[in-house]
Amino acid sequence: MKPLTWLTQSLEFLGGANDMPPVAFPAITNALFWGVWWGVLSLVIYMFCGQSSKFIYIDF
Amino acid sequence: MIFNTWAYYLFFLIPSAVLFRLSPPRLRPWVIILGGSLFFLFFSYTALGGLIPAACLGIFLWESITSRFYRPKFWFCWVGVMQAVILLFVFKYWNFFVALAWFHAEQKPYWTHAFLPLGISFFTFEFIHYAVDRKQGETEAGTLGEYLAFILFFPTMVAGPIKRYQQFLPKLRAELAEWPQDWHRGITRILTGLAKKFAIADVLTAYTNHLNVADIAVANRAILPLWLLAYGMKIYTDFSAYSDIAIGSARLFGIPIPENFDWPYLQTNIAQFWRHWHISLTSWLMDYVYIPLGGSRVSPGRVYLNVITTMLISGIWHGAGINFVLWGLWHGVALGIHRAYRRLRPVPQNPPPVSQFGSWLLTFVTANLGWAFFSMDVHTALFFFRRLFVG
Repeated sequence: MKPLTWLTQSLEFLGGANDMPPVAFPAITNALFWGVWWGVLSLVIYMFCGQSSKFIYIDF
Repeated sequence: MIFNTWAYYLFFLIPSAVLFRLSPPRLRPWVIILGGSLFFLFFSYTALGGLIPAACLGIFLWESITSRFYRPKFWFCWVGVMQAVILLFVFKYWNFFVALAWFHAEQKPYWTHAFLPLGISFFTFEFIHYAVDRKQGETEAGTLGEYLAFILFFPTMVAGPIKRYQQFLPKLRAELAEWPQDWHRGITRILTGLAKKFAIADVLTAYTNHLNVADIAVANRAILPLWLLAYGMKIYTDFSAYSDIAIGSARLFGIPIPENFDWPYLQTNIAQFWRHWHISLTSWLMDYVYIPLGGSRVSPGRVYLNVITTMLISGIWHGAGINFVLWGLWHGVALGIHRAYRRLRPVPQNPPPVSQFGSWLLTFVTANLGWAFFSMDVHTALFFFRRLFVG
Protein backbone atom coordinates (compact mmCIF):
# COMPACT_ATOMS: atom_id res chain seq x y z
CA MET A 1 0.00 0.00 0.00
CA LYS A 2 1.29 3.45 -0.89
CA PRO A 3 2.21 5.65 2.10
CA LEU A 4 -0.29 8.33 1.07
CA THR A 5 -3.11 5.79 0.82
CA TRP A 6 -2.16 4.34 4.20
CA LEU A 7 -2.12 7.81 5.73
CA THR A 8 -5.52 8.79 4.35
CA GLN A 9 -7.09 5.49 5.44
CA SER A 10 -5.58 5.85 8.90
CA LEU A 11 -6.98 9.37 9.23
CA GLU A 12 -10.38 8.14 8.03
CA PHE A 13 -10.31 5.41 10.68
CA LEU A 14 -9.30 7.84 13.42
CA GLY A 15 -11.95 10.29 12.20
CA GLY A 16 -14.75 7.75 12.28
CA ALA A 17 -15.23 7.59 8.51
CA ASN A 18 -13.94 4.03 8.18
CA ASP A 19 -14.84 1.21 10.53
CA MET A 20 -11.71 -0.79 9.83
CA PRO A 21 -8.11 0.42 10.08
CA PRO A 22 -5.70 -0.08 7.17
CA VAL A 23 -3.29 -2.97 7.27
CA ALA A 24 -0.30 -2.44 9.52
CA PHE A 25 -2.19 0.10 11.61
CA PRO A 26 -0.84 -0.07 15.19
CA ALA A 27 -2.86 -2.59 17.22
CA ILE A 28 -3.65 -0.20 20.04
CA THR A 29 -7.28 0.52 19.28
CA ASN A 30 -8.74 -0.57 22.59
CA ALA A 31 -11.15 1.32 24.85
CA LEU A 32 -8.31 3.21 26.52
CA PHE A 33 -6.99 4.37 23.15
CA TRP A 34 -10.38 5.66 22.07
CA GLY A 35 -10.93 7.29 25.44
CA VAL A 36 -7.66 9.20 25.06
CA TRP A 37 -8.46 10.05 21.43
CA TRP A 38 -11.90 11.40 22.31
CA GLY A 39 -10.24 13.36 25.11
CA VAL A 40 -7.76 14.91 22.68
CA LEU A 41 -10.53 15.85 20.25
CA SER A 42 -12.63 17.28 23.08
CA LEU A 43 -9.66 19.32 24.30
CA VAL A 44 -9.09 20.71 20.80
CA ILE A 45 -12.78 21.60 20.56
CA TYR A 46 -12.70 23.27 23.97
CA MET A 47 -9.55 25.25 23.12
CA PHE A 48 -10.81 26.58 19.80
CA CYS A 49 -14.57 26.90 20.28
CA GLY A 50 -16.32 30.21 20.84
CA GLN A 51 -15.20 31.86 17.62
CA SER A 52 -18.85 31.78 16.61
CA SER A 53 -18.41 31.51 12.86
CA LYS A 54 -21.22 30.03 10.84
CA PHE A 55 -20.93 26.98 8.66
CA ILE A 56 -20.42 28.36 5.16
CA TYR A 57 -22.84 26.10 3.37
CA ILE A 58 -25.87 26.80 5.55
CA ASP A 59 -26.36 30.42 4.64
CA PHE A 60 -25.22 30.56 1.07
CA MET B 1 -24.67 27.43 13.40
CA ILE B 2 -26.95 24.55 14.55
CA PHE B 3 -24.34 21.76 14.57
CA ASN B 4 -22.09 23.75 16.88
CA THR B 5 -24.80 24.48 19.45
CA TRP B 6 -25.53 22.58 22.64
CA ALA B 7 -29.23 22.67 21.76
CA TYR B 8 -28.65 20.45 18.75
CA TYR B 9 -27.05 17.68 20.79
CA LEU B 10 -29.00 17.93 24.05
CA PHE B 11 -32.51 18.66 22.76
CA PHE B 12 -32.53 16.95 19.38
CA LEU B 13 -29.78 14.51 18.42
CA ILE B 14 -29.33 12.43 21.56
CA PRO B 15 -33.03 12.22 22.59
CA SER B 16 -34.18 11.46 19.04
CA ALA B 17 -31.48 8.87 18.35
CA VAL B 18 -32.12 7.07 21.66
CA LEU B 19 -35.89 7.15 21.18
CA PHE B 20 -35.51 5.94 17.60
CA ARG B 21 -33.45 2.95 18.68
CA LEU B 22 -35.79 2.06 21.54
CA SER B 23 -38.95 2.35 19.43
CA PRO B 24 -40.61 -0.56 17.63
CA PRO B 25 -39.99 -0.47 13.84
CA ARG B 26 -43.49 0.80 12.93
CA LEU B 27 -43.01 3.88 15.14
CA ARG B 28 -39.47 4.76 14.06
CA PRO B 29 -40.45 6.95 11.08
CA TRP B 30 -42.71 8.96 13.37
CA VAL B 31 -39.86 9.50 15.84
CA ILE B 32 -37.86 11.02 12.99
CA ILE B 33 -40.84 13.09 11.86
CA LEU B 34 -41.42 14.43 15.38
CA GLY B 35 -37.72 15.17 15.93
CA GLY B 36 -37.34 16.70 12.47
CA SER B 37 -40.42 18.91 12.81
CA LEU B 38 -39.34 20.20 16.22
CA PHE B 39 -35.81 20.74 14.86
CA PHE B 40 -37.15 22.75 11.93
CA LEU B 41 -39.45 24.85 14.10
CA PHE B 42 -36.84 25.48 16.80
CA PHE B 43 -33.95 26.48 14.55
CA SER B 44 -36.14 28.38 12.08
CA TYR B 45 -37.56 30.37 14.98
CA THR B 46 -34.26 30.97 16.78
CA ALA B 47 -31.80 31.21 13.87
CA LEU B 48 -33.94 32.69 11.09
CA GLY B 49 -35.90 34.96 13.35
CA GLY B 50 -39.53 34.28 13.83
CA LEU B 51 -42.76 32.50 13.20
CA ILE B 52 -42.92 33.00 9.43
CA PRO B 53 -39.72 31.03 8.66
CA ALA B 54 -40.93 28.36 11.09
CA ALA B 55 -44.30 28.24 9.34
CA CYS B 56 -42.49 27.22 6.15
CA LEU B 57 -42.60 23.70 7.54
CA GLY B 58 -46.12 23.71 6.15
CA ILE B 59 -44.76 24.20 2.63
CA PHE B 60 -42.52 21.16 2.89
CA LEU B 61 -45.33 19.09 4.43
CA TRP B 62 -47.53 20.14 1.50
CA GLU B 63 -44.87 19.06 -0.99
CA SER B 64 -44.55 15.75 0.85
CA ILE B 65 -48.29 15.14 0.78
CA THR B 66 -48.56 15.88 -2.95
CA SER B 67 -45.82 13.33 -3.53
CA ARG B 68 -48.29 10.64 -2.46
CA PHE B 69 -49.97 11.04 -5.86
CA TYR B 70 -46.83 10.25 -7.85
CA ARG B 71 -47.04 7.10 -9.96
CA PRO B 72 -44.75 5.61 -12.61
CA LYS B 73 -45.26 7.38 -15.98
CA PHE B 74 -47.78 9.78 -14.41
CA TRP B 75 -47.53 13.42 -15.57
CA PHE B 76 -48.35 14.66 -12.08
CA CYS B 77 -44.75 13.91 -11.05
CA TRP B 78 -43.74 16.95 -13.11
CA VAL B 79 -46.07 19.07 -10.96
CA GLY B 80 -43.96 17.99 -8.00
CA VAL B 81 -40.77 18.98 -9.80
CA MET B 82 -42.22 22.32 -10.86
CA GLN B 83 -43.54 23.26 -7.43
CA ALA B 84 -40.15 22.46 -5.86
CA VAL B 85 -38.33 24.57 -8.45
CA ILE B 86 -40.83 27.46 -8.24
CA LEU B 87 -40.63 27.59 -4.44
CA LEU B 88 -36.83 27.62 -4.58
CA PHE B 89 -36.96 30.35 -7.23
CA VAL B 90 -39.30 32.54 -5.19
CA PHE B 91 -37.39 32.26 -1.92
CA LYS B 92 -33.83 32.19 -3.19
CA TYR B 93 -33.70 33.93 -6.57
CA TRP B 94 -36.59 36.41 -6.71
CA ASN B 95 -34.51 39.48 -5.87
CA PHE B 96 -31.61 38.28 -8.03
CA PHE B 97 -33.76 37.95 -11.14
CA VAL B 98 -35.68 41.13 -10.38
CA ALA B 99 -32.38 43.01 -10.37
CA LEU B 100 -31.55 41.50 -13.77
CA ALA B 101 -34.99 41.79 -15.38
CA TRP B 102 -35.78 45.33 -14.15
CA PHE B 103 -32.24 46.50 -14.78
CA HIS B 104 -33.21 50.00 -15.98
CA ALA B 105 -36.30 50.48 -13.83
CA GLU B 106 -36.12 52.89 -10.92
CA GLN B 107 -38.75 51.02 -8.91
CA LYS B 108 -37.92 47.33 -8.81
CA PRO B 109 -40.42 44.83 -7.34
CA TYR B 110 -37.98 43.55 -4.73
CA TRP B 111 -39.10 41.29 -1.91
CA THR B 112 -37.79 43.49 0.85
CA HIS B 113 -38.12 41.00 3.71
CA ALA B 114 -36.92 37.98 1.77
CA PHE B 115 -35.63 35.03 3.75
CA LEU B 116 -34.53 31.48 3.03
CA PRO B 117 -36.50 28.71 4.74
CA LEU B 118 -34.21 26.34 6.55
CA GLY B 119 -32.68 23.78 4.18
CA ILE B 120 -34.79 24.74 1.15
CA SER B 121 -31.90 24.23 -1.31
CA PHE B 122 -31.44 20.65 -0.12
CA PHE B 123 -35.16 19.91 0.32
CA THR B 124 -35.60 20.90 -3.32
CA PHE B 125 -33.07 18.34 -4.54
CA GLU B 126 -34.66 15.54 -2.56
CA PHE B 127 -38.18 16.45 -3.72
CA ILE B 128 -37.05 16.52 -7.36
CA HIS B 129 -35.15 13.24 -6.96
CA TYR B 130 -38.22 11.48 -5.57
CA ALA B 131 -40.61 12.90 -8.18
CA VAL B 132 -38.37 11.96 -11.12
CA ASP B 133 -37.53 8.50 -9.77
CA ARG B 134 -41.19 7.76 -9.05
CA LYS B 135 -42.11 8.80 -12.60
CA GLN B 136 -39.44 6.52 -13.98
CA GLY B 137 -40.48 3.70 -11.66
CA GLU B 138 -37.08 3.59 -10.04
CA THR B 139 -38.28 3.77 -6.47
CA GLU B 140 -41.20 2.45 -4.50
CA ALA B 141 -43.60 4.89 -2.90
CA GLY B 142 -43.23 3.80 0.70
CA THR B 143 -45.76 5.03 3.24
CA LEU B 144 -46.42 8.69 4.01
CA GLY B 145 -44.58 8.21 7.31
CA GLU B 146 -41.54 6.75 5.58
CA TYR B 147 -41.43 9.56 3.02
CA LEU B 148 -41.84 12.24 5.68
CA ALA B 149 -39.05 10.57 7.66
CA PHE B 150 -36.85 10.76 4.54
CA ILE B 151 -37.59 14.47 4.11
CA LEU B 152 -37.49 15.46 7.79
CA PHE B 153 -34.44 13.40 8.83
CA PHE B 154 -32.80 16.34 10.59
CA PRO B 155 -29.09 15.36 10.46
CA THR B 156 -29.20 15.99 6.71
CA MET B 157 -31.99 18.56 6.61
CA VAL B 158 -30.01 21.79 6.54
CA ALA B 159 -27.07 21.15 4.23
CA GLY B 160 -27.09 17.52 3.16
CA PRO B 161 -25.51 15.18 2.24
CA ILE B 162 -28.26 14.80 -0.35
CA LYS B 163 -29.86 11.41 0.25
CA ARG B 164 -31.59 8.99 -2.12
CA TYR B 165 -34.92 7.47 -1.12
CA GLN B 166 -34.00 4.02 -2.49
CA GLN B 167 -30.99 3.89 -0.17
CA PHE B 168 -32.68 5.48 2.84
CA LEU B 169 -35.81 3.31 2.91
CA PRO B 170 -34.13 -0.09 3.46
CA LYS B 171 -32.06 1.40 6.28
CA LEU B 172 -35.18 2.83 7.88
CA ARG B 173 -36.88 -0.56 7.74
CA ALA B 174 -33.86 -2.68 8.67
CA GLU B 175 -33.38 -4.25 12.06
CA LEU B 176 -31.11 -2.03 14.12
CA ALA B 177 -28.00 -3.73 15.37
CA GLU B 178 -24.56 -2.79 16.56
CA TRP B 179 -25.68 0.04 18.81
CA PRO B 180 -22.20 0.25 20.48
CA GLN B 181 -20.38 0.19 17.14
CA ASP B 182 -22.67 2.81 15.58
CA TRP B 183 -22.38 5.14 18.57
CA HIS B 184 -18.64 4.64 18.82
CA ARG B 185 -18.05 5.52 15.18
CA GLY B 186 -20.76 8.19 15.15
CA ILE B 187 -19.39 10.04 18.20
CA THR B 188 -15.84 9.80 16.81
CA ARG B 189 -17.04 11.30 13.53
CA ILE B 190 -18.92 14.12 15.27
CA LEU B 191 -15.95 15.01 17.51
CA THR B 192 -13.65 14.97 14.48
CA GLY B 193 -16.01 17.26 12.60
CA LEU B 194 -16.26 19.72 15.49
CA ALA B 195 -12.46 19.72 15.97
CA LYS B 196 -11.96 20.30 12.24
CA LYS B 197 -14.48 23.13 12.25
CA PHE B 198 -13.16 24.95 15.33
CA ALA B 199 -9.42 24.31 15.08
CA ILE B 200 -8.93 24.65 11.31
CA ALA B 201 -11.88 26.27 9.51
CA ASP B 202 -12.58 28.94 12.10
CA VAL B 203 -8.88 29.73 12.57
CA LEU B 204 -8.50 30.28 8.82
CA THR B 205 -11.24 32.92 8.99
CA ALA B 206 -8.61 35.37 10.26
CA TYR B 207 -6.95 35.12 6.84
CA THR B 208 -10.01 34.85 4.62
CA ASN B 209 -11.50 38.03 6.13
CA HIS B 210 -8.86 39.93 4.14
CA LEU B 211 -10.56 39.05 0.85
CA ASN B 212 -12.06 42.52 0.38
CA VAL B 213 -11.17 45.45 -1.88
CA ALA B 214 -9.56 47.58 0.84
CA ASP B 215 -7.20 44.86 2.07
CA ILE B 216 -6.41 43.52 -1.41
CA ALA B 217 -5.49 47.06 -2.57
CA VAL B 218 -2.79 47.54 0.06
CA ALA B 219 -1.56 43.96 0.47
CA ASN B 220 1.78 42.66 -0.69
CA ARG B 221 1.08 40.65 -3.87
CA ALA B 222 2.86 37.64 -2.44
CA ILE B 223 0.26 37.31 0.32
CA LEU B 224 -2.75 37.28 -2.06
CA PRO B 225 -2.48 33.63 -3.15
CA LEU B 226 -2.11 32.63 0.51
CA TRP B 227 -5.38 34.34 1.40
CA LEU B 228 -7.12 32.55 -1.45
CA LEU B 229 -5.51 29.26 -0.46
CA ALA B 230 -6.72 29.86 3.09
CA TYR B 231 -10.25 30.23 1.71
CA GLY B 232 -9.87 26.99 -0.27
CA MET B 233 -8.80 25.18 2.88
CA LYS B 234 -11.46 26.86 4.97
CA ILE B 235 -14.37 25.94 2.73
CA TYR B 236 -13.10 22.36 2.51
CA THR B 237 -12.59 21.90 6.24
CA ASP B 238 -15.77 23.79 7.04
CA PHE B 239 -18.09 21.82 4.77
CA SER B 240 -16.39 18.48 5.27
CA ALA B 241 -16.65 19.12 9.03
CA TYR B 242 -20.34 19.81 8.57
CA SER B 243 -20.69 16.59 6.59
CA ASP B 244 -18.75 14.68 9.26
CA ILE B 245 -21.20 15.85 11.91
CA ALA B 246 -24.22 15.09 9.71
CA ILE B 247 -22.97 11.59 8.85
CA GLY B 248 -21.92 10.94 12.45
CA SER B 249 -25.32 12.11 13.70
CA ALA B 250 -27.11 9.81 11.26
CA ARG B 251 -24.92 6.95 12.45
CA LEU B 252 -26.29 7.41 15.98
CA PHE B 253 -29.69 6.50 14.50
CA GLY B 254 -28.08 3.52 12.75
CA ILE B 255 -28.82 5.07 9.34
CA PRO B 256 -25.83 5.41 6.99
CA ILE B 257 -26.02 8.36 4.60
CA PRO B 258 -23.85 9.19 1.56
CA GLU B 259 -20.34 10.55 1.93
CA ASN B 260 -19.67 14.06 0.65
CA PHE B 261 -15.88 14.32 0.43
CA ASP B 262 -13.08 11.93 -0.45
CA TRP B 263 -9.80 13.87 -0.41
CA PRO B 264 -10.69 16.20 -3.31
CA TYR B 265 -7.49 18.24 -3.05
CA LEU B 266 -5.40 15.12 -3.70
CA GLN B 267 -6.96 14.49 -7.11
CA THR B 268 -4.96 14.81 -10.31
CA ASN B 269 -7.57 16.22 -12.69
CA ILE B 270 -10.58 18.48 -12.42
CA ALA B 271 -13.06 15.72 -13.33
CA GLN B 272 -11.70 13.60 -10.46
CA PHE B 273 -11.85 16.66 -8.21
CA TRP B 274 -15.59 16.91 -8.83
CA ARG B 275 -16.07 13.19 -8.21
CA HIS B 276 -14.53 13.72 -4.76
CA TRP B 277 -15.90 17.17 -3.84
CA HIS B 278 -19.47 17.47 -2.54
CA ILE B 279 -20.07 13.99 -3.92
CA SER B 280 -23.79 13.85 -3.17
CA LEU B 281 -24.34 17.09 -5.11
CA THR B 282 -22.18 16.03 -8.03
CA SER B 283 -23.97 12.71 -8.35
CA TRP B 284 -27.37 14.47 -8.11
CA LEU B 285 -26.37 16.89 -10.89
CA MET B 286 -25.14 13.98 -13.00
CA ASP B 287 -28.40 12.04 -12.60
CA TYR B 288 -30.94 14.88 -12.81
CA VAL B 289 -29.26 17.47 -15.04
CA TYR B 290 -26.31 16.14 -17.06
CA ILE B 291 -27.75 12.78 -18.14
CA PRO B 292 -31.25 14.15 -18.95
CA LEU B 293 -29.51 16.76 -21.14
CA GLY B 294 -27.98 13.90 -23.08
CA GLY B 295 -24.82 13.38 -21.05
CA SER B 296 -21.95 12.04 -23.09
CA ARG B 297 -24.15 10.22 -25.64
CA VAL B 298 -24.58 13.20 -27.94
CA SER B 299 -22.36 15.02 -30.39
CA PRO B 300 -19.04 16.31 -28.98
CA GLY B 301 -20.21 19.90 -29.16
CA ARG B 302 -23.37 19.10 -27.21
CA VAL B 303 -21.35 17.23 -24.58
CA TYR B 304 -19.31 20.36 -23.87
CA LEU B 305 -22.52 22.38 -23.72
CA ASN B 306 -24.02 19.84 -21.29
CA VAL B 307 -20.96 20.00 -19.05
CA ILE B 308 -21.00 23.80 -18.94
CA THR B 309 -24.78 23.95 -18.44
CA THR B 310 -24.54 21.49 -15.54
CA MET B 311 -21.81 23.49 -13.86
CA LEU B 312 -23.68 26.75 -14.43
CA ILE B 313 -26.69 25.26 -12.64
CA SER B 314 -24.36 24.10 -9.88
CA GLY B 315 -23.00 27.65 -9.64
CA ILE B 316 -26.38 29.39 -9.50
CA TRP B 317 -27.61 26.83 -6.96
CA HIS B 318 -24.74 27.76 -4.66
CA GLY B 319 -25.88 31.36 -4.51
CA ALA B 320 -28.00 34.01 -6.15
CA GLY B 321 -25.21 36.13 -7.60
CA ILE B 322 -23.26 36.66 -10.81
CA ASN B 323 -20.09 35.58 -8.98
CA PHE B 324 -21.57 32.11 -8.44
CA VAL B 325 -22.52 31.94 -12.12
CA LEU B 326 -18.90 32.75 -13.00
CA TRP B 327 -17.67 30.13 -10.51
CA GLY B 328 -19.84 27.52 -12.24
CA LEU B 329 -18.62 28.71 -15.63
CA TRP B 330 -15.01 28.51 -14.44
CA HIS B 331 -15.42 24.85 -13.55
CA GLY B 332 -17.52 24.09 -16.62
CA VAL B 333 -14.80 25.46 -18.89
CA ALA B 334 -12.09 23.66 -16.89
CA LEU B 335 -13.99 20.37 -17.23
CA GLY B 336 -14.45 21.03 -20.95
CA ILE B 337 -10.74 21.70 -21.44
CA HIS B 338 -9.88 18.57 -19.49
CA ARG B 339 -12.29 16.52 -21.61
CA ALA B 340 -10.85 17.90 -24.86
CA TYR B 341 -7.30 17.22 -23.66
CA ARG B 342 -8.15 13.65 -22.72
CA ARG B 343 -9.63 13.05 -26.18
CA LEU B 344 -6.31 14.10 -27.68
CA ARG B 345 -4.11 12.40 -25.09
CA PRO B 346 -5.70 9.46 -23.24
CA VAL B 347 -4.45 8.75 -19.71
CA PRO B 348 -1.23 6.72 -19.85
CA GLN B 349 -1.14 3.40 -17.96
CA ASN B 350 1.56 4.39 -15.49
CA PRO B 351 2.22 8.12 -15.61
CA PRO B 352 5.62 9.12 -14.22
CA PRO B 353 5.64 10.80 -10.77
CA VAL B 354 6.64 14.15 -12.25
CA SER B 355 3.64 14.04 -14.56
CA GLN B 356 1.34 13.06 -11.70
CA PHE B 357 2.66 15.88 -9.56
CA GLY B 358 2.16 18.35 -12.41
CA SER B 359 -1.42 17.14 -12.89
CA TRP B 360 -2.11 17.44 -9.18
CA LEU B 361 -0.65 20.95 -9.04
CA LEU B 362 -2.67 22.11 -12.04
CA THR B 363 -5.87 20.70 -10.54
CA PHE B 364 -5.14 22.21 -7.13
CA VAL B 365 -4.40 25.65 -8.59
CA THR B 366 -7.46 25.56 -10.89
CA ALA B 367 -9.82 24.63 -8.05
CA ASN B 368 -8.36 27.22 -5.70
CA LEU B 369 -8.33 30.06 -8.24
CA GLY B 370 -12.01 29.32 -8.79
CA TRP B 371 -12.72 30.08 -5.13
CA ALA B 372 -12.05 33.75 -5.91
CA PHE B 373 -15.49 33.89 -7.58
CA PHE B 374 -17.08 31.90 -4.77
CA SER B 375 -15.69 34.01 -1.94
CA MET B 376 -15.92 37.51 -3.42
CA ASP B 377 -18.34 39.50 -5.56
CA VAL B 378 -17.40 39.90 -9.22
CA HIS B 379 -15.87 43.36 -8.83
CA THR B 380 -13.68 42.25 -5.91
CA ALA B 381 -12.70 38.97 -7.58
CA LEU B 382 -11.62 40.74 -10.77
CA PHE B 383 -9.68 43.29 -8.73
CA PHE B 384 -8.05 40.39 -6.86
CA PHE B 385 -6.95 38.78 -10.16
CA ARG B 386 -5.69 42.12 -11.48
CA ARG B 387 -3.56 42.67 -8.38
CA LEU B 388 -2.42 39.04 -8.40
CA PHE B 389 -1.37 38.83 -12.04
CA VAL B 390 -0.78 42.43 -13.15
CA GLY B 391 0.24 44.31 -10.04
